[in-house]
Amino acid sequence: MSADEFDPMIERLFARSPQMADATLFAAEVETKLHSSSRVRTAALTVAGLIGGIIAVKESMNLNLHLSDSQAPVAGRVIGQGLQAASVNVQSAVGSGLSQLGLSDLTFGSMGAMQMFWIAAGALIAVAAAGVVRLSQDV
Amino acid sequence: MPKALMDQHDVELAALAAAGGRREFGELVRRHGSAVRSLLRRMGAQGSEADDVAQDAFLQAFEKCAEFRGEGTFAAWVKRIAARLYLKRKAKDARYVAEIEPGEEDVAPARDQAGLVDLDEALKSLSETERLCVSLCHGAGLSHPEIAAAMNLPLGTVKSHVKRGLDKLRARLSPDAGQSGRSTHVG
Repeated sequence: MSADEFDPMIERLFARSPQMADATLFAAEVETKLHSSSRVRTAALTVAGLIGGIIAVKESMNLNLHLSDSQAPVAGRVIGQGLQAASVNVQSAVGSGLSQLGLSDLTFGSMGAMQMFWIAAGALIAVAAAGVVRLSQDV
Repeated sequence: MPKALMDQHDVELAALAAAGGRREFGELVRRHGSAVRSLLRRMGAQGSEADDVAQDAFLQAFEKCAEFRGEGTFAAWVKRIAARLYLKRKAKDARYVAEIEPGEEDVAPARDQAGLVDLDEALKSLSETERLCVSLCHGAGLSHPEIAAAMNLPLGTVKSHVKRGLDKLRARLSPDAGQSGRSTHVG
């Protein structure tokens, strides 16, 4: 048999593979691994989202909005005072919630407000990405 | 009404798997799992090792499913992934033999119980490196330069391994094998 005849024959022989007896079991194992890796990923994203969310809420409460400046028009001043009051209420509520969770001493060293803002923004994006991933998996 | 999984083409299933469809990917594994596992065994992987590498290959294929464009067959695409994974694993354990090893003189015809040509049996007469090179070339569809790069061997050495491996296979698989001694017709 010449090489010209033999090479296609070898290709055909390699392409021909018997269906293995445990093919269904093998496929089930792969599917199980796919499910478990997906669960691990979802859990990791959820934890990252939660941590990011906590940091974001904590830091947004510490932002000084400067909304009650004495130079501002009366209407603006009223809105500013309202927002400030609401902010204080939410801050105290979140503060008490964090202290119940044992996170009242959560401090972030010497990081500036802008750095913390970007960290919080990143965390929020991570939460959104986690949501999209979860949605795409469900769909 | 959506088509049943079994009625769908590989390319359709791969597209659905790329969008996160694990059930659709499971159907692809059912269809092509045996082919990938067979290739790995032909490359020299033992049973459980072949299955481990095949599983890893399918998991990697799921992650990269969006890259499958349907230009070749899905099975060929996964086989290439599996072959490369196996080579990586092998590279950690041992160095490939760059020199040509002395050939075996066993030219008994490789036939299964039904008298049909038995490739798996014939592959056993090849050296480990010849077996890898021939399987990568004719089983996984890698070109000689791709094999040389993947195995970190000179191109000429890979070509020699493939040629020598094919000569041995021809001697064992040709219809007159065992009747007229070594039949190594090189065209």
